[in-house]
Amino acid sequence: MALRELSSLEKCLGLKKPTKYSTQGERKVPVLQNNNGAALVGLVTIASHLVHEAKKAELLGNSAEDRAVVQQWLEYRIARVDNCPKDELKVILKELNQYLGDKVYLAGNVFTLADILMYYGIHHIVVELAIQEKERFLNITRWFDHIQHYPGVRHHLPPVVVLRNRVYPSGHH
Amino acid sequence: MTKENVQGASEEEPQGQSKKGLKKQQKEAEKAAKKAEKQAKLAADQQEADEDDFAKDRYGVCPMVQSRQKLDRALVRVQDLTPEKAEQQIWVRARIHTSRAKGKQCFLVLRHQQFTVQALIAVGDHASKQMVKFAANLTKESIIDVEAVVKKVDQKIESCSQQDVELHVERIFVISQSEPRLPLQLEDAVRPEGDGDEEGRATVNQDTRLDNRVIDLRTTTSQAIFRLQSGVCQLFRDTLINKGFVEIQTPKIISAASEGGANVFTVSYFKTSAYLAQSPQLYKQMCICADFDKVFCVGPVFRAEDSNTHRHLTEFVGLDIEMAFNYHYHEVVDSITDTMVQIFKGLHDRFQTEIQTVNKQYPSEPFKFLEPTLRLEYKEGVAMLKAAGVEMGDEDDLSTPNEKLLGRLVKEKYDTDFYVLDKYPLAVRPFYTMPDPNNPKYSNSYDMFMRGEEILSGAQRVHDAQLLTERAMHHGIDLEKIKAYIDSFRYGAPPHAGGGIGLERVTMLYLGLHNIRQTSMFPRDPKRLTP
Repeated sequence: MALRELSSLEKCLGLKKPTKYSTQGERKVPVLQNNNGAALVGLVTIASHLVHEAKKAELLGNSAEDRAVVQQWLEYRIARVDNCPKDELKVILKELNQYLGDKVYLAGNVFTLADILMYYGIHHIVVELAIQEKERFLNITRWFDHIQHYPGVRHHLPPVVVLRNRVYPSGHH
Repeated sequence: MTKENVQGASEEEPQGQSKKGLKKQQKEAEKAAKKAEKQAKLAADQQEADEDDFAKDRYGVCPMVQSRQKLDRALVRVQDLTPEKAEQQIWVRARIHTSRAKGKQCFLVLRHQQFTVQALIAVGDHASKQMVKFAANLTKESIIDVEAVVKKVDQKIESCSQQDVELHVERIFVISQSEPRLPLQLEDAVRPEGDGDEEGRATVNQDTRLDNRVIDLRTTTSQAIFRLQSGVCQLFRDTLINKGFVEIQTPKIISAASEGGANVFTVSYFKTSAYLAQSPQLYKQMCICADFDKVFCVGPVFRAEDSNTHRHLTEFVGLDIEMAFNYHYHEVVDSITDTMVQIFKGLHDRFQTEIQTVNKQYPSEPFKFLEPTLRLEYKEGVAMLKAAGVEMGDEDDLSTPNEKLLGRLVKEKYDTDFYVLDKYPLAVRPFYTMPDPNNPKYSNSYDMFMRGEEILSGAQRVHDAQLLTERAMHHGIDLEKIKAYIDSFRYGAPPHAGGGIGLERVTMLYLGLHNIRQTSMFPRDPKRLTP
């Protein structure tokens, strides 16, 4: 899973040469063996490294505060979203939905790595939501639809259909 | 107990007795004093009661009405108590909805069906203290006759249906008393669901209502629902009679299961057994073959389906239509949709009071429909579902969630709660459905939906004995069991189509209610056989 994400990320960043990854441990944490011997372990670490390689550092945030917010959401992705138990799902969706209430992107009002990795991370949840639930978590659906259509982002994941108009009037059912 | 203790106890006794004894005596004295006080008070009350009750013959419990006499007295209905009757002295028969006593006054709310009016009994020229007390002690739901003067009120009485008048009671008699402990409180039964939880006040759950249906049916909401349902039936009949239909009655005890063997009730019929009809299908068609051209029937339908859902009953009222047509089955579809539209219009025009009453307890969006009725082909419906992300095959049947979702998509796109889905796949329809001449995978069949739920399933029927036999064999049906049915088409049968709706379901969906037991007076389901 993580490996496919990384290869999609590479394509998204415009990196020409596909890198070889290995995995370690039960959770198949990705490992990138560097030329100088040091190994980069972990999805977020490798992703940040790739961003620097592609010379697109702005994807990690422009100001110190933005960079911190990006890191926060990257951590959220790994710590809370990945392998979350079923009863946690609604909590995460509620949190994200509330956070995205007044934001177009997760951090600093610009498209960042946080948006990309969060999109990859919650895709499998959103694709399973019924239309009524997608309308309940309206902000996530809006943000998700925006990111999945962002040029170059969606590679290995099927598109999720998002209806243009509300089908369930608010307050009923 | 050791000897010492026993000794000790007996030694203490004389002393204890005096202490204990004193206490005991004291207590007994107190008790006696209290008793004497009570008795004195009772005597005083009694004296008061007997003392000068000048209104003694203006109130009381009437002897049971055994048709002893013919009283030439006009009773005014609560709903007719309006400011026009101000200052008139009239008689009213109604139930006691609530009563509240305050010193020298007693306020009653009298109720008749959906209408309530406030009545006041105050100590004065016409009423004595004893009379006010009598009124205050009457039990809820008792039926009473009151003679009163209608008075206009300055401030509207918001809590009653008759807001501009009040009754000043001069005489009050009980016609039929109610037991004091009611199985459910009517105010609770009319309370909307949300309110109950918030303010800590009770609502009544469905099982309690159904177990005490007689009381539950007295609520304003129930009265409104069933009056509207009566309207549906009447509009159905009137519209069809105006279109030249003939009403028929079909047998309900039949020899063979009409829709399929699984969901049928068996009854013992003398030395053999018979079945309760699952639909009037076979007989409607036989009437068409008997040249009645356009028929309809209103009658019970029995389905032994072990489904405990919000929309299934084991016995319900079916409103069925069957019609011979000239060249195309859409002639029939148009006739049916026009009938439905006439019903919706009639309900909207004539039953607004009832609809508003129901909405007070069960709020919902008003029912919307288009003229002419929206008709989509099955393929279009599937395409709409696929565009919304649903995965299904072109010839799959619609599952209930998909039906509901399609209803939502249609509502959003066309702004209608009522539409027809035409040309269903042949494979999912019964054996007597006429296949589509242009595409053997589809059929000349249709379903109609209200608020996303199916209310009618219909089709052009196979009217050719040979084709019917082929289709039956294809479905693996025992030809012997339907021999009489197939025979009816052997001597010239006109092309015909039809469909049937459920009275309870249509009422439920028109009003936007969520459980069919609310629209069935004495519902029958796998778990309920009484009342």
